[in-house]
Amino acid sequence: MEGHDATHSGAAAGHHEWEVSYWPLLLSVSVLFVLPFPFSLYFVYKNALLAVLALGIGVPLLVVSLVGWVSEALKGRTVTSAEQGLGTGALPWFIVAEAFIFVGFFAAYWATRLMAPAWPPAGTPHISMTIPIIMTIILVASSVTIHFAEEKLEHNNTSGFITWLIVTIVLGAVFFLISAYEWSHLMGEGFTFGTNIYGSSFFSITGFHASHVLVGLCAFVAVLIPALRGTVSKNFVKSASVYWHFVDIVWFFVVSQVYFW
Amino acid sequence: MSATAQAGFGKVLKEWIFTCDHKRVGILYLIGVLAAFLVAGLAAMLLRVELSTVGPTIMAPGTYNVLLYFHGAAMILGFLIPALTGFLANYLIPLQIGAKDVAFPRLNALSLWLFWMGIVLALLTFVIPDPPDFMWTAYPPYSIMSPGNTAFYTFTVLIMGFASIVGGVNLITTIIYMRAPGMTWGKLNMFVWCTLAAFITQLVFVPVLGAAVTMLTFDKYLGTTFFSPGSGGDVLLYQNLFWFYSHPAVYVILLPFLGIVFDVVATFARNRVFNYKATVYVGVGGVTLMSGEVWIHHLYTSGMPDWIRTGMMVSTLLISVPVGVMMIGLIGTLYRGSIEYKSPMWWALGCMFLFLIGGLTGIPNAMPAIDSHIHDTHFVVAHFHYVMAVAGTFAVLAGVTYLFPKMFGKMCSEGISKLGFVVTFIGVNVTFFSMFLVGLKGMPRRYYDYAQFPQFQDLHQIVTVGAFIAALGFLIVLVSWIHGLVAGEKATDNPWGSRSLEWTTSTPPGPGNWAEVPDCTNFDPYGYGSNK
Amino acid sequence: MLKRFGTSAIGALTLLGVSSGACGSTGGAGGGTGIKNPAANWQHLWDEMMLDITIIGVVFALVIVYLLIRYRRTRPDQEGSQPTLSTAASFGWVLIPVFLFMADDLFLAARGWTLWNDYRIVPANSYEVELKAAMWSFNFKHPNGVEESGTLHVEAGTPVVVRMTSADVVHSMFIPDFRVKEDSMPGRVTYLWFNPDKPGEHVITCAEFCGMMHSSMHGKVIVMSRDQFHAWSDAEKAKIATANVEGGKS
Ligand code: HEA
Ligand code: HEA
Ligand code: CUA
Ligand SMILES: [Cu+2]
Repeated sequence: MEGHDATHSGAAAGHHEWEVSYWPLLLSVSVLFVLPFPFSLYFVYKNALLAVLALGIGVPLLVVSLVGWVSEALKGRTVTSAEQGLGTGALPWFIVAEAFIFVGFFAAYWATRLMAPAWPPAGTPHISMTIPIIMTIILVASSVTIHFAEEKLEHNNTSGFITWLIVTIVLGAVFFLISAYEWSHLMGEGFTFGTNIYGSSFFSITGFHASHVLVGLCAFVAVLIPALRGTVSKNFVKSASVYWHFVDIVWFFVVSQVYFW
Repeated sequence: MSATAQAGFGKVLKEWIFTCDHKRVGILYLIGVLAAFLVAGLAAMLLRVELSTVGPTIMAPGTYNVLLYFHGAAMILGFLIPALTGFLANYLIPLQIGAKDVAFPRLNALSLWLFWMGIVLALLTFVIPDPPDFMWTAYPPYSIMSPGNTAFYTFTVLIMGFASIVGGVNLITTIIYMRAPGMTWGKLNMFVWCTLAAFITQLVFVPVLGAAVTMLTFDKYLGTTFFSPGSGGDVLLYQNLFWFYSHPAVYVILLPFLGIVFDVVATFARNRVFNYKATVYVGVGGVTLMSGEVWIHHLYTSGMPDWIRTGMMVSTLLISVPVGVMMIGLIGTLYRGSIEYKSPMWWALGCMFLFLIGGLTGIPNAMPAIDSHIHDTHFVVAHFHYVMAVAGTFAVLAGVTYLFPKMFGKMCSEGISKLGFVVTFIGVNVTFFSMFLVGLKGMPRRYYDYAQFPQFQDLHQIVTVGAFIAALGFLIVLVSWIHGLVAGEKATDNPWGSRSLEWTTSTPPGPGNWAEVPDCTNFDPYGYGSNK
Repeated sequence: MLKRFGTSAIGALTLLGVSSGACGSTGGAGGGTGIKNPAANWQHLWDEMMLDITIIGVVFALVIVYLLIRYRRTRPDQEGSQPTLSTAASFGWVLIPVFLFMADDLFLAARGWTLWNDYRIVPANSYEVELKAAMWSFNFKHPNGVEESGTLHVEAGTPVVVRMTSADVVHSMFIPDFRVKEDSMPGRVTYLWFNPDKPGEHVITCAEFCGMMHSSMHGKVIVMSRDQFHAWSDAEKAKIATANVEGGKS
């Protein structure tokens, strides 16, 4: 059973040294400088300069600690082997949590929409229905291609794996660019966060979904780079693709609720 | 010579600060929650002094609001929840299920340090210009109109929330996949069961709070209109999302604290848990399943539709059923036991009595009609201090005194900690029982002054006196720990004579806890007495 | 423990006494006018419920105390001997308590529900006042157009219903003596009603945190006898009239 070999090869098994890692602490500190400080410096205290300074400290720190973390993982130290052994077991729970963030936003959307006297509320421009259809096709396609990639990996065909992985990344990137285009287009028409409650929900939900696409892409890149150097962790690939399918499923809710309802 | 000594010291320091070991992560959590408890407690003392006379006493209204915001937020998010699901869970669970560590040691460290960053953010409240002043509930529109820094509140919640999710996923995976061979589900300690339930609850509800506070900050700084009626938003939407999380959060507190009390009681009664299976399925399971269907009881006077209020009155009252089942399991554990009155047991028993009072005073709140008088009065404040601030804190202290020998290899002085218990017990009851009375007379919460109710002053002064007795009690507890660390006698591997797995390790446990993962095929954490 | 528990039980009973004092209970029907009197019925339900939970608390605590004394350790090597329950027994030990607790809860729920209806069903021909709460004052508008801030003059014996909104943030109108409280907020109209049965003054105070001056946001309900009240409201109305006339002149 997965659990047990994980336990045995697991943390500090056999050798009796305290496990240490610099990256968790650094990563946490960087979070402070990337999110709360710049945000409140800029939006609350209206001090762009200090905000940029905070980012200047935070972003490099963030990158360094992430890179450090991943490379440590790839060195396959004992700690990590436990982590990889159980990654696929942990992911579903993490996805539950993720899903409920969307539940929160959708609940807000449904509540306000069902109580609204008229829908769409005043000030909403015409929103193209073709764009979301195209995006849907692309995202579904990318779900399929990543599945192919996994198949190839099963048959230890690394080059095939890499090609399909790259295709997936490209598709994801295109999806992301389209939604970016759509945003700028709508904002150009004066439809923004603040226009009305539909604007608020629309941009929050689509933006939040797009951010998940971005995370998925980063994960794929984090798979690709070492893969090009010949090291692939099947568990990591599996987790990344499961996550990607989740992002895909959420998109169906976004399309059906926010665009077509 | 000294150089090597320094090198040695540096190594130790490094092994602590950058540790990935669940025991050390747990202890670092403990330090963080104590910091939060002390500062937030001192804030509470200032509040009490302010309330001790009609009219301004020592501070301005603005100061009062900031202190109260900090007290509430820090005590719940920074002290009690992480003390149970961070400190106790991290330290105890791998030891109780026979794992060498958690599933993802470095993610564990990440959750620890994210939590610490949350503490840092919370403490910055006292440093930043226009700090948050809208209470831990942060209801809009006020939290949007207030000059207070809503972003800090939001990010404190988000970072702490993310930390708790990372920790939760980590420990759930650990419990599912890393139990020692032979450690079947039917053998888990009550604490493991309760904490597992608490973590699953958190995974479902914390994200919703995250969404809510995010919308709050968007509304305030990015101009969205989720909560502003003018452009189609709804004020009550936030209150619903907030309590949809924050009521289950109280069971995220309740479950682990009853869990640790179960284990302490079983150990000192040298007895098996009464009706174990039923207590787990009906008690723990019931609470978990029902926790999400009662949140409207915080909105009885908020203008929700009447049918929802009556509906959730019924569900709220009914939640006393699974909790009652857990109480019976707990009390039954004493039956035909062999009870030894060591200090952890005192705290555990204190917790049981205080929880009875606190829980039962939840019942009047649960009835909308009754609540329309006592809602947002000090009656409610007294209710949740009994059940959370006092019973919960006592459970944490029971846990700390119980694990102290295992953590630090030293014994606390029984005398001092029992003295601490007695003083605290008297103090909190004086404080919060009088608070019931003043609340019942109609003293509203979050009041800096009560010029319209001068007749309440006497009761308020009794509350304040009680609070200082309680504070003194906690001070004595601190002393007992420091004394234990410095001068405590050396602890054996199993000072309490417990059968539970964590006591089979060396004291304090080294890296990896056991040389080899223990075989638990014929092991029973509660295997006391003749009937094995 | 036993001693401590005693005090708490007594304390719980004092709660009864205290609250009974706080509100002149005039029986189910307010002042014999046939109009419901939620404040008084609140008192009855409160007393019942207090008795209920005090009994439960006492029973549980006494059992704990008994077990604590009965089963304290006598020999150092002594171990507990919890009997392993038969399936039937373990089911019984869950189901029986579950049904007892449920019975009690549903009883309380039923009583709570009837009183809740008293609270929400506004009597016909009650006197309707508008409230616009604002940071930090209660601003009332009478049916005859008279407006007042802070005070609310009403007539003894006529039930009063307050329709509430807010100009800015969430506030809550709380009249301790009448045992009522309801939030007022922008974007929604909420209501509460109370039955001022005899002349007197009662504190109104804000019960939802609304900023810096939250605790200073209070006023009075002034209950007057019928003719006093009419005298008052006519006088006020006259004032408005003259004010308008003067406004017209200039
Ligand atoms: C650990 C935390 C904790 C716990 C466990 C509870 C437990 C309960 N709480 Fe409490 N509560 C809070 C923390 C907690 N609460 C907080 C923090 C607030 C205020 C938040 C804020 O506004 O800032 C609050 C507020 C609060 C309210 C809102 C009041 C208001 O704002 O007007 C209500 C209303 O129903 C309520 C009810 C209950 C009930 C019914 C229980 C039940 O779970 C209690 C069940 C237990 C028992 C009943 C005793 C043991 C059982 C038996 C002995 C069996 C027999 C008993 C019966 C059959 C009745 N609580
Ligand atoms: C776990 C949670 C927790 C804990 C432990 C406490 C502990 C205490 N609380 Fe708190 N409280 C809350 C959670 C908690 N509270 C919440 C959620 C609210 C609602 C906030 C809101 O309305 O938004 C609240 C609100 C609240 C109020 C309501 C104020 C108001 O509405 O106007 C009051 C008033 O008395 C109060 C008092 C106290 C006191 C006296 C203690 C004491 O038990 C504290 C004792 C501890 C110490 C004092 C620190 C340690 C002791 C020492 C270091 C010794 C040396 C110190 C001295 C001698 C001073 N609390
Ligand atoms: Cu208005 Cu508080
Ligand atoms: Cu609740």
